[in-house]
Amino acid sequence: MATKDKAPTKLTGQTMQVVSFALGSEEYGVDIAQVQEINRMVTITHVPRAPHFMEGVINLRGQLIPIIDLRTRFGMPRTEHTKNTRIVVTEIGSKRVGMVVDSVSEVLRIPTEQIEDAPDMIAGVETEYIRGVGKMGDRLIIMLDLGRVISGNEKRDLESLETEAVSA
Amino acid sequence: MSADDFFDRTEFIQYFRDETEEILQSIDSDLLRLEGFVDSGNVDPEIIASLFRGLHTIKGSAGMLDFKEVQGVAHKLENVCDLLRKDRMPLSESCVNLLFEGRDILTALVHAAIDGGSAPVGVQNFMDRLDSFASVYETTAAVIDGTNLPDGLGEHHDEMMPVDQHQIDAFEAEVERLLAAQNSQSGPEPSAAIPAPALASPAPPLTSAETAAGIVDAAAAQAAIDALLAPESVATPAAAVAPAAPKKSAAEAVATASPAPTPAAPAPAAPGKIPVAGGKNQTIRVDIERLDMLLNLVGELVINRTRISDIANTLSRNVNDPNHHQDVVVPLAKDLADSSALLARTTNEIQESIMKVRMVPIGQVFDRFPRMVRDLAKARNKEIKLEIAGAETDLDKTIVDEVGEPLMHLVRNNIDHGIEEPAVREARGKPRAGTIKLNAYHEGNQVIIEVQDDGGGIQLDKVRERGIKQGLITEADRLTDREIIELIFTPGFSTAEQVTDVSGRGVGMDVVKKNILRLKGIFDVDSVLGEGTKFTMKLPLTLAIIQALLVRVANELYSIPLDAVIESQRIDTSDVRTVHGGEVITLRGQVVPLIRVGEFFNLTKERDPDKVMIVIVGLQGRQVGLVVDSFQGEQEIVIKPLSDVIGRIPGISGATILGNGSISLIIDVHSLVASAYAGGKVARAEFSGV
Repeated sequence: MATKDKAPTKLTGQTMQVVSFALGSEEYGVDIAQVQEINRMVTITHVPRAPHFMEGVINLRGQLIPIIDLRTRFGMPRTEHTKNTRIVVTEIGSKRVGMVVDSVSEVLRIPTEQIEDAPDMIAGVETEYIRGVGKMGDRLIIMLDLGRVISGNEKRDLESLETEAVSA
Repeated sequence: MSADDFFDRTEFIQYFRDETEEILQSIDSDLLRLEGFVDSGNVDPEIIASLFRGLHTIKGSAGMLDFKEVQGVAHKLENVCDLLRKDRMPLSESCVNLLFEGRDILTALVHAAIDGGSAPVGVQNFMDRLDSFASVYETTAAVIDGTNLPDGLGEHHDEMMPVDQHQIDAFEAEVERLLAAQNSQSGPEPSAAIPAPALASPAPPLTSAETAAGIVDAAAAQAAIDALLAPESVATPAAAVAPAAPKKSAAEAVATASPAPTPAAPAPAAPGKIPVAGGKNQTIRVDIERLDMLLNLVGELVINRTRISDIANTLSRNVNDPNHHQDVVVPLAKDLADSSALLARTTNEIQESIMKVRMVPIGQVFDRFPRMVRDLAKARNKEIKLEIAGAETDLDKTIVDEVGEPLMHLVRNNIDHGIEEPAVREARGKPRAGTIKLNAYHEGNQVIIEVQDDGGGIQLDKVRERGIKQGLITEADRLTDREIIELIFTPGFSTAEQVTDVSGRGVGMDVVKKNILRLKGIFDVDSVLGEGTKFTMKLPLTLAIIQALLVRVANELYSIPLDAVIESQRIDTSDVRTVHGGEVITLRGQVVPLIRVGEFFNLTKERDPDKVMIVIVGLQGRQVGLVVDSFQGEQEIVIKPLSDVIGRIPGISGATILGNGSISLIIDVHSLVASAYAGGKVARAEFSGV
């Protein structure tokens, strides 16, 4: 078995390798150790009555992978999928989850001292999902806390219920 | 791998667990057979030898893994068997009971050792009793043999002083008298009691100090033997038995035992004794032939792979050369067709083989019951014969693991509520001993398991009365017999006036129902008052692959397990009527409520104005119609669980991947119907039984 460390890289190290992707005008990043692969968009099978941010499941080489639409998760407006849309398959603990993002940019090495704690509010994204903000020149990379992103125990507020109704 | 993994003990512990579980099971059946020889004066030496071997193996393996307590108890039990083997000890009921108790303590210790839990209390107490029990005979044997002491007493050997011939004669005479007395005494002693406390008490039998002093005290030996044999001494306090039930809290064991400080006292611990399906073990023993077959098939697969890649290579070399069309491409096409046919055949066979590898005989579960029935029957002062048939019936390992618990509850129920007391049975003109039959057999793609008793049957009026009393139904409800029987499976329902250790909390039958439904099985109860009850469950052979009916709902393809489907129907929309706002149809005189699957799952789709497609599914004899958009045929599907990130979704039990790579969700008929009812989306039409 792989002995690769799947735990999040410590913020106190030298540099942190981050897969960066775009959602709307923002740039986000996740620890590369948590990313298993990046796929083009495939057909997502809708799972009825699942939590609203669950887009459905895909067939990844015979395995069922649940898919989260990050736009829905973060309360952003949904958009049509384009040829740049990607599914980032992540592995957190034993849980594998795919995330739909607008596009994947690159793998960045961010010096840890360039990563700051999350400010209280960033462009409408609830800060509970954010581990910090990395600065690369004039770019700001929002570092996600994937464990929080995939856990479904957030409040189902009115807004998300509406989103669900619209998307259904 | 890191250096810490150099010696991986877990692997050995796993092996030890599997092996020991098997041996403990065989010890149990050996003991049950041994019990048949009690006081008959002769014993099948093969049984003793088998017991001895089993204990010896456990002792050895435990020693290797440094499970000292397991090793110790196994050793002591082995000593007793040794005495039996050498015919130095008569086979008495107390002896068998002591061995039974030892087996249970051993089981508890093994589990504690493996799971790292704390050792059960009372082990030392048991060891002491075992010692005293054995030492009487060991000493006797030693005296009879002259100085030839059996192995177990080696440490005493050196200290043994010559004894006066007169003393020996007296002792021998005494022993003979006592043995004779014992033979006449331990007849149909109703209790499984262990003559423990007397031995553990301050009136000790031989101690090594006394032995060392060169005194073989006949009086002390007699006291000890008396204590062993005297029926009064069987009033074993519950606490002495409680340690055998480590899963139960000691307090509970004592509480259940205390109301009956009679010889029946030891029994209360029995329900906890047999760890049915305890500590699910995740390994499986496979017949080497089945593995070889699998290996052969994989071999064929590999050959075929080479063939296909050859075809692909040749094809790509010639793809741009139209001249070779006839002499190259045409034969290639034929080759490819052959290969593909071979591939289809091989994969089918591999699928079948791998399913066979997962199959284990249901006997693994049935084997637990002789012991349980014996103990519980004794506790209830009932005489019960257990007949087992079809133990060799194979079914999937996961199902075998799950089916133990419902079966246990059913058998307990038979013992507690079904089989009458011997006197009652005689009065009713039945044989004193009641019979419980366990039977299993294959029927098509299912396995049928029956649990049958020849007891009093279900008293429907009593059940109904009880249901009213517990507020489950009202006086006004007119229920069919079947619906009354269904009440038994309601959580909290019990006809027992008093909660006993065996039953009365109203949990068991609820568990039976839940587990069977979870296994995608169905069950049926036949009961004739005064003649007995037969419980039948139908389970799928395997949970991994099922036949399913594919249906389209809005834009999605759903799979409905075929075992739940009774029929599918195309019905004119005008035939759909409403009852209390819910839709129903009438099908051959039965009113069948409808559930619109699309609406249940919030999928939007225009309703077909002319026709409705309905899949009639059966649930415990009731029928419900699921409205879908179209039928897409039957298919064998491989069940895959939905990720736990998504959580449990009512109406969905998992998903499968279809031939074209797309995903179809599998409808969980039971939870869909339950949830639709809870949501008030279905007509509460009168159900009619099947």
